[in-house]
Amino acid sequence: MGIVLTKDPVAEGEVSVDGATVRYYDSIEARGKRNPIVLVHGTTGSTAVHYGYLFPMLATRQRVISVDLGMPAGELTIDSFRRQVEAVIDNLLAGQKVTLVGYSLGAVVAATVAAARPETIENLILVAGWAKTDSQQLLRNSVWNALYESGNKDALAQFTVFCAFGNPFVGARTLEELAPAIKAVNVTEFGAAQMQLNRDIDIADRLDKITANTLVVGCTYDQMVPNRHSRDLFGATENARYTEIPSGHAVVFERPAELHKQIDNFAANPSRHPAGTIIPTVKP
Amino acid sequence: MTTHTPLLIIGTGFAGIGLAMKLKRRGINDFILIERSDDVGGTWRDNRYPGAACDVPSHLYSYSFKLKSDWTRVFAPATEIWEYIRWCAQDEGIMPHIRFNTNLLDATWDEVGTLWRVQTSQGEYTANVVVTAMGHLADEKYPPIDGIETFTGEKFHSARWDHSAHLDGKRIAVVGSGASAIQIIPEMQKVAQQLIVFQRSAPYVIPRPDRAYTHAEQRRFARDPASMEALRSELFWGMEYNYAQRRAVPKSIAEAYSMANGHRNNQVTDPEVMAKLTPDYEIGCKRILISDVYYPAMQARNVHIEASALERVEGTTLVSAEGNSYEVDAVVFATGFEAIEPPFAPLIHGRDGLALSEYWSQGMQALDSTTVAGFPNLFIMNGPNTGLGHNSVIYVVESQIDYIVGGIEFMRGARASVIEARPESESEYVEAVIERSAGTVWLTGGCKNWYVDYRTNRLTVTWPDFAYAFRDSNGEFEPAHYSVA
Ligand SMILES: Cc1cc2nc3c(=O)[nH]c(=O)nc-3n(C[C@H](O)[C@H](O)[C@H](O)COP(=O)(O)OP(=O)(O)OC[C@H]3O[C@@H](n4cnc5c(N)ncnc54)[C@H](O)[C@@H]3O)c2cc1C
Repeated sequence: MGIVLTKDPVAEGEVSVDGATVRYYDSIEARGKRNPIVLVHGTTGSTAVHYGYLFPMLATRQRVISVDLGMPAGELTIDSFRRQVEAVIDNLLAGQKVTLVGYSLGAVVAATVAAARPETIENLILVAGWAKTDSQQLLRNSVWNALYESGNKDALAQFTVFCAFGNPFVGARTLEELAPAIKAVNVTEFGAAQMQLNRDIDIADRLDKITANTLVVGCTYDQMVPNRHSRDLFGATENARYTEIPSGHAVVFERPAELHKQIDNFAANPSRHPAGTIIPTVKP
Repeated sequence: MTTHTPLLIIGTGFAGIGLAMKLKRRGINDFILIERSDDVGGTWRDNRYPGAACDVPSHLYSYSFKLKSDWTRVFAPATEIWEYIRWCAQDEGIMPHIRFNTNLLDATWDEVGTLWRVQTSQGEYTANVVVTAMGHLADEKYPPIDGIETFTGEKFHSARWDHSAHLDGKRIAVVGSGASAIQIIPEMQKVAQQLIVFQRSAPYVIPRPDRAYTHAEQRRFARDPASMEALRSELFWGMEYNYAQRRAVPKSIAEAYSMANGHRNNQVTDPEVMAKLTPDYEIGCKRILISDVYYPAMQARNVHIEASALERVEGTTLVSAEGNSYEVDAVVFATGFEAIEPPFAPLIHGRDGLALSEYWSQGMQALDSTTVAGFPNLFIMNGPNTGLGHNSVIYVVESQIDYIVGGIEFMRGARASVIEARPESESEYVEAVIERSAGTVWLTGGCKNWYVDYRTNRLTVTWPDFAYAFRDSNGEFEPAHYSVA
């Protein structure tokens, strides 16, 4: 709350869904002919944390709305988050076509929204997402959970950074340079609940309901959601293209400008590359 | 005697040489380059002042299609960059195409012959197509200073360094506090008896993460070129990130302040000096400079900071805007370049003899930053809205190379003798640039800068967006935007 995303103030508001308070940020001003973009953050994230860079930059090109997912009163399921995103869209963008962007767990949520609302979600971008949790993710999740339960916050923070950033990124920095990233790790109960939810994600049977023009963005050095998951999404989604960014899972911190380019290009012209295309990684 | 060539390229810096390399690789060999100087290299041939270096890491500030594995440092010194361009030109067989010591005097479009008539210091050329690659920071600028001609000591511009001048143990003044000045000052501090720095406004400075590459790294780059490409990509997107400063993105501005203020606090101890070195404008407005040696030099015992402009000169006395006088033996002008009104524009005459400078009397403009209505068969490199404050200019140059090669191949494929930017396409592009620049710090930041045209307050020098967006917008020749005959 009270976060400063852009130089000009953005509108903020909230909706209540299943007892959860869902905050949203809205740049309001429409620009050009593009659909408004709706952003959904990832596990333990928020608009400020995951989209502090992308929100204001994307807002120079089109209206941007971002959702801060909230903890429902009852059981947390992927459909709780789906209903939250749908509620924000219904509240702000009723009757409009939307470009929906999800990152990490947010990509899982975005895929379920796109499957449920094919008439609304015209374009879909799934960044470092997945359809069905696999053993590699479960092993990491178990270690994470053991550290969380142990109360060893420092070890938990180091483990998080170790997994979140790509090995070229981590390896090229001193521990001193990584210290701020480690210090920034902060796990709430709500975050822990999301980690629990991550253990049994399975939305594979919904993907064939997605009709949106879809861009799947995988991260080359992703150790949290290895990019084979993105390739699975690329295969499973009818109208999908695939591209890769040479980054770890934390692409919103490691390569935000490159991610901006991918989102920007796709939002400008979603069908520029036909479905099934692997869009080559940019070589500057 | 008149020499005819299908394609004439004027200038042999990164732009001209890079274009020639790409043309040759595409099997196009019928071109000539002319160059007013006696060697290739442009900026890097001219700017060899002590301390001269590039502010973009060399693995990025080089052609993507001609990687060099053995850069000695992250930020190579100017001479090494110069050597690199010479190597490119030699290795790719460009040298025989170049006519040195050939200064462009005039280029006029001949309606009847449908070609350019080009007058040079070495006679006339005719060319079906002309490409200007004369640089955007090639001609030095001096501020108007009363009595400058009365100065009896050594005086020169940073880009025209007088290497025969004896500066050791002298009283030296450096005028300016921009990118060149902060490289020169630490070097002058080492040799001067006394160094006076005339500083109109203090720059923001952040650390320069420079280091030498080891032999092992150089050999890895050579053996595994993909590792050079990976580094290049990391460097490019790392710099690209900083474009958000130009949009005043709060997260970016906060990070930039923290870096710049942290660096100043680490390196500057004297409170009086601190006051002079603390900028008074919003960060991101001008280029953020990088140096680890500037602040230490500015606090040296033999350095005096005059925090106002140099206003007038009386013999060997320099008088500042605040009225302080200094006796000096030498003056170095690190006062920048003509960028808003490029000096080549008056030399180029299009249809009806109209000078490009006339056409640009309200500011530079071009279709796709490259071609101009009324100036057929002319391509301009590093012209309107091509400068970058946050990333490598070579990226823009390579985009323009692709565009121009595309244009030339289109003409040859379509057997077109004349192509000309459609005025309505040019206007549309200009409108789009104006829209992009709205909301950038150049227009809202409240600081004077050389990117904005003083006549119209329009941003005409810099590209007001991410660098990648330049290539997206201007990296491919679009025949529909041209009338073709
Ligand atoms: C000190 C300095 C530092 C810089 N640092 C950076 C940096 O860190 N990063 C970055 O991206 N950019 C930097 N630049 C910008 C740099 O100018 C460009 O990156 C690039 O070198 C421009 O290449 P060019 O070929 O367009 O022009 P130039 O290199 O200027 O070449 C133009 C050529 O045209 C010739 N010419 C001009 N007029 C005529 C004429 N009438 N007749 C015949 N020939 C003519 C000139 O002699 C010259 O050889 C720097 C510039 C300077 C001056």
